[in-house]
Amino acid sequence: MSAQNETSPIPPQRLPGWVRKVLIGRNGKRTLTRLIALVVAFFIIFCFFWFVLLPVRVEGISMLPTCRNGSVNFVNRLAYLRHGPQRGDVVGIRLSAPVIMRPSIMYLKRVIGLPGETVAFVNGHVLIDGQILDESYEKDDYDWNLPPVKLGPTQYFVVGDNRSMPSEFHTFGKVERDHIVGRAIL
Amino acid sequence: MKIVFRIVLLAALAAAGFWLWTILFPSPGKIIRRQLNAVAKCASFAADEGTLARMADAESLAGYFSTNVEVNINIREGDRQDFVGRDQITQAALAARSAVSSLSVKFLDVAVTVAPDKQSAVADFTVEARVSGEQDLIVQEMKFTLRKIGGHWLITRVETIRTLSILNFELRRAPSIV
Repeated sequence: MSAQNETSPIPPQRLPGWVRKVLIGRNGKRTLTRLIALVVAFFIIFCFFWFVLLPVRVEGISMLPTCRNGSVNFVNRLAYLRHGPQRGDVVGIRLSAPVIMRPSIMYLKRVIGLPGETVAFVNGHVLIDGQILDESYEKDDYDWNLPPVKLGPTQYFVVGDNRSMPSEFHTFGKVERDHIVGRAIL
Repeated sequence: MKIVFRIVLLAALAAAGFWLWTILFPSPGKIIRRQLNAVAKCASFAADEGTLARMADAESLAGYFSTNVEVNINIREGDRQDFVGRDQITQAALAARSAVSSLSVKFLDVAVTVAPDKQSAVADFTVEARVSGEQDLIVQEMKFTLRKIGGHWLITRVETIRTLSILNFELRRAPSIV
């Protein structure tokens, strides 16, 4: 028996035919190419949604009726590469997260004041440099009052759309440009 | 093929060695992050937690702060609260435990900057707190200053950072005017 083993060469261990067909397919090279393409595509999609188009889930009611509690939106980080935020844009605002990192949590607010302007609320009207701002997105009346706030050269004034809540319970105000992550896609 | 295999094996060994090194000798930044997670855990409490457990947690929370810790809290414009001392932390923790039935605290986006002498550090982070029965999250940017005292990193200063502000610069400098 042992002599027989010594004389007959041991065939290399191979996967059974059907396993090989399931795992690798008929053309191993083509399968490998497809696998690499799949990994690269997955990597690109991951990077895109991690660094460029950030998915955010809205928690809270400060952006009602534009953004409902629990809704999912995206923040485009490349929106302000060529120009700064515009009046009326809904933007994502980072808190402590460093500029290049993906923030775990963000404020979602609307830009109403641009750098250098003076913003005030008088009996539920927004005044920009003394002129009433037309806010078509505001459906309900409100009665907020805020003395004039002068914005610096790199500051924007942001506020939520839900002004039916008392202003004391609403987070809004001046924000530095480098805290604005990008424009929300609604 | 053999050379490739050896290179891969060597790279894997180097990575494993580096990982082991960071586990055995963690950097101050890593120690501080771990400590901040422990602080968040101590600050949180469940509804079914017993009175003794709540007191023990409040005591252990204070243990992460220096005896003369300075606390400057400014969550709402013009509503600034300053106090000094570890006992005040315990009192605040106990007061929070009696005011709400449960609280879940997380420290997110933590950025730690360690001084060159490795004896002090600053941690910037965002606090996310969920109070039972309330729909809205409490979100607040904060800054802790830490100092190495007796071989332990203790929090010596607590400050709130206002990401959004409605105060003019002149008023911000003199909060008592508001």
